Amino acid sequence: MAKFRVVHYINQFFAQVGGEEKADHRPESREGFVGPGMAFNAAFGDKAEIVGTVICGDSYFNENLETATKEVLGLISSFKPDLVIAGPAFNAGRYGMACGTVAAAVERELDIPAITGMYKENPGVDSFKKDIYIIETKNSAAGMRDAVKVMAPFALKLAAGEEIGASVEEGYIPNGIRVNFFEEKRGSERAVDMLLAKLAGKPFTTEFPMPDFDRVEPKPAIVDISKATIALVTSGGIVPKGNPDRIESSSASKYGKYDIEGVFDLTESTYETAHGGYDPVYANLDADRVLPVDILREYEKDGKIGKLHRYFYSTTGNGTAVASAKAYAAAIGKELVADGVDAVILTST
Amino acid sequence: MNRAKGVVLFALCFVFGRKQSSGKERYLILITNNPKFQSDPEPRCDTEYIAGSYRDVLILVRDRIHQGHRLLSHPLSGSVKPNETPYKSILISKNTGGLDMDSLQIIEDSISTCDKFMQNPIKYGHNNQDALLADFSEVDYRLIVAAIASASR
Amino acid sequence: MKLELGNIFIHDIQFDDLSRVENGVLYINEEELREHLLEDENISSVSFDIAKPGESVRIMPVKDVIEPRVKVEGRGGVFPGVISKVDTVGSGRTNVLKGAAVVTTGTIVGFQEGIIDMSGPGADYTPFSKLNNLVVICEPVEGLKQHAHEKAVRFAGLKAAAYLGRLAKDLEADEVESFETPSLIESFRQYPDLPRVAYVQMLQTQGLLHDTYVYGVDMKQSITTMLYPTELMDGAIISGNCVSACDKNTTYHHLNNPVIRDLYARHGKELNFVGMIITNENVYLADKERSSDWSAKLAEFLGVDGVIISQEGFGNPDTDLIMNCKKIEAKGIKTVIITDEYAGRDGASQSLADADISANAVVTGGNANMVVNLPPMEKVIGHVKLADTIAGGFDGSLQPDGSIVVELQAITGATNELGFNRLSAR
Repeated sequence: MAKFRVVHYINQFFAQVGGEEKADHRPESREGFVGPGMAFNAAFGDKAEIVGTVICGDSYFNENLETATKEVLGLISSFKPDLVIAGPAFNAGRYGMACGTVAAAVERELDIPAITGMYKENPGVDSFKKDIYIIETKNSAAGMRDAVKVMAPFALKLAAGEEIGASVEEGYIPNGIRVNFFEEKRGSERAVDMLLAKLAGKPFTTEFPMPDFDRVEPKPAIVDISKATIALVTSGGIVPKGNPDRIESSSASKYGKYDIEGVFDLTESTYETAHGGYDPVYANLDADRVLPVDILREYEKDGKIGKLHRYFYSTTGNGTAVASAKAYAAAIGKELVADGVDAVILTST
Repeated sequence: MNRAKGVVLFALCFVFGRKQSSGKERYLILITNNPKFQSDPEPRCDTEYIAGSYRDVLILVRDRIHQGHRLLSHPLSGSVKPNETPYKSILISKNTGGLDMDSLQIIEDSISTCDKFMQNPIKYGHNNQDALLADFSEVDYRLIVAAIASASR
Repeated sequence: MKLELGNIFIHDIQFDDLSRVENGVLYINEEELREHLLEDENISSVSFDIAKPGESVRIMPVKDVIEPRVKVEGRGGVFPGVISKVDTVGSGRTNVLKGAAVVTTGTIVGFQEGIIDMSGPGADYTPFSKLNNLVVICEPVEGLKQHAHEKAVRFAGLKAAAYLGRLAKDLEADEVESFETPSLIESFRQYPDLPRVAYVQMLQTQGLLHDTYVYGVDMKQSITTMLYPTELMDGAIISGNCVSACDKNTTYHHLNNPVIRDLYARHGKELNFVGMIITNENVYLADKERSSDWSAKLAEFLGVDGVIISQEGFGNPDTDLIMNCKKIEAKGIKTVIITDEYAGRDGASQSLADADISANAVVTGGNANMVVNLPPMEKVIGHVKLADTIAGGFDGSLQPDGSIVVELQAITGATNELGFNRLSAR
């Protein structure tokens, strides 16, 4: 059987182009392996060979995401690979994002199997674990040898189209796809082991992590709503026409705070949505559909509520990292409390 | 202008957090698509029969929960999966109060589970298996009769 | 309470003129056993077959699997309140025909289910492929209602197992195992420094074809209660549960409950196994609240540091499982739960119908939606045409060559939630 043709993607650092000062290094490709590629090539034996290496600086990649991806993909496909390995990135955040983006794009656009490796806390893990196999590595390049030991045979398996086992068998970071396999011990014995560890305060790993809950206990009801100051906060992306803060249509990096003093109705000519995750037509025609300023003004006038808070806060929810959303919420919450707001109506889409 | 959405949102912030009165409801409503309940006089409780799917029953129950009824029997009664049996019977309270969050949680989880199973091939009704349908009907019937017995204790 | 199990290893079953056990072979006089089972006027005919490990044999639809046992010393008899009179079991000596089982099969309802393959890939997923099985095929009298039919088949299996068990009454055991649970006070005196652990077993109790009996009592009518673990080894709990083959507990599972065994194995060394709580999984939500309140209350009363909670079934019981877990954790008692998953054929869906953050230690028996291809077998005992209507089967499940494409759901005991198997998922 012919050897699999492998392309290796690495950053400027691992290519020994330079450190942070060379992070804007533009994509280039070289024949054969470079840097850590040597270890992969050795591990592949006679089954595969690194035919080319594509190198890109982390800053350049992340700051020019779309064009850099296109450029890198072009360089990769010119080698006509059967398999692509990106990284491993260990705990380097921007490198992780680049490796994840490249590997996911290779699978999606080129239909070629691709993997990467990262430390479990690398931000690239959460962004890409559902799209591609990410082998779990140590948190620094000192773990390169161990990473290669797992990544190389796994990559070969993937390239050969063999059945991929459960995450715990193969070494990839759990991707939400449940895969059956036979454990060494029966379930009851595993349960006893787990209980003894839990009782002793030792670490244990649940076989089925519960879905992430971030439930918030509801506050007691407002005693007298007719005296309360109500604020509007939305993840539906409603912004003044023109989107003055340039809130991104997805993966928002910020939220906006907008004065609605004297605004009684959000109209087509004054407000719109920045959200890219739903059909914006009806929100753009009448943004009250997402952020009900009109009805709250009416209630304010009728004395059904105390008053509508002077500012509303807005961001786009789609693709926005939970950690970012939490940070926005904390900041917004602090201001609302300081401003004496009693209750918030939070609208989504 | 869109009043409706604003009103609903506004209403929601009232409804959440209101304390649900506890105490055992003696009066039940059975929501079912099981034809056996149309002919059978046995369960002596109000019965709302709908000519719909398993999922339609879940959705109707969810709507009733939104209206303040409480869920009294588990929507996923029985080990027969949602893509295996066409029949579903569920008990809710006759009286209404504030929105019961536990009921809402269970019915929403059940709808998700139903949708998950419906992605798999549907396993009933092919090959004109009338006898099979009768058996599904019987099992659904018996399970809810057991629940009614619990309620009447 | 102390019980000794005298295991007599069985490596073969044969039909013969005289029912007996000799040199590890179980000989059965078919005629005698048939007459015994036909005493039930609801049964019109009974036939038998034998399935041995490694044979090209498929048994379906399986209703229950039962291990033959007999009481040799001590109070009561096996399956108390059902086959034997009501008396507290679980002490003295019980002989076991280890390696043999009675398998009942029958078409109680159209979607009756459960496959045991004695060889091939399906055999890896069911523990019963490793046993020498006497298959009991009962036909009911004309017009018998489903619930009466289920009961007749249930009793036929238990009677057959008791009949075979009696053959071991005077035999010398090949191996003797001993299990003891002293009083709470005594166990505390013995092991004051070991973590105290109890077992909470949830029993399927939703109604027709979903019932479990404890000393003959329909468990859905009972409140959460306690048993000595050794009582199960004498058949205090029997299965009337016929739906969801992969994660129902057969009577065999109850007799050989693996959680009990593995807790006993560590008892006195790493933990102090103080006893067990049994609770139900009723459909009525107020029953769930009450039963889980009681599980938590009894666990607190036992003064345990930790519990293992096992589930039976899917959907409705997920809610009981989470209630039990949450309420017991809220008492400051650590929990590990054992469940299985319905994550869809691609494994991508949410596995449980209910969930809670307190359930942070979970053991899984695997994804029951996984599809397996069971190649044709030379011999099928039971009713192969049912493949399409078996849970986990689907239209076209039965292939022209006799192979069956099904989800693991259809295989008896495949994703058992007592942790009987090595199968898991990640």
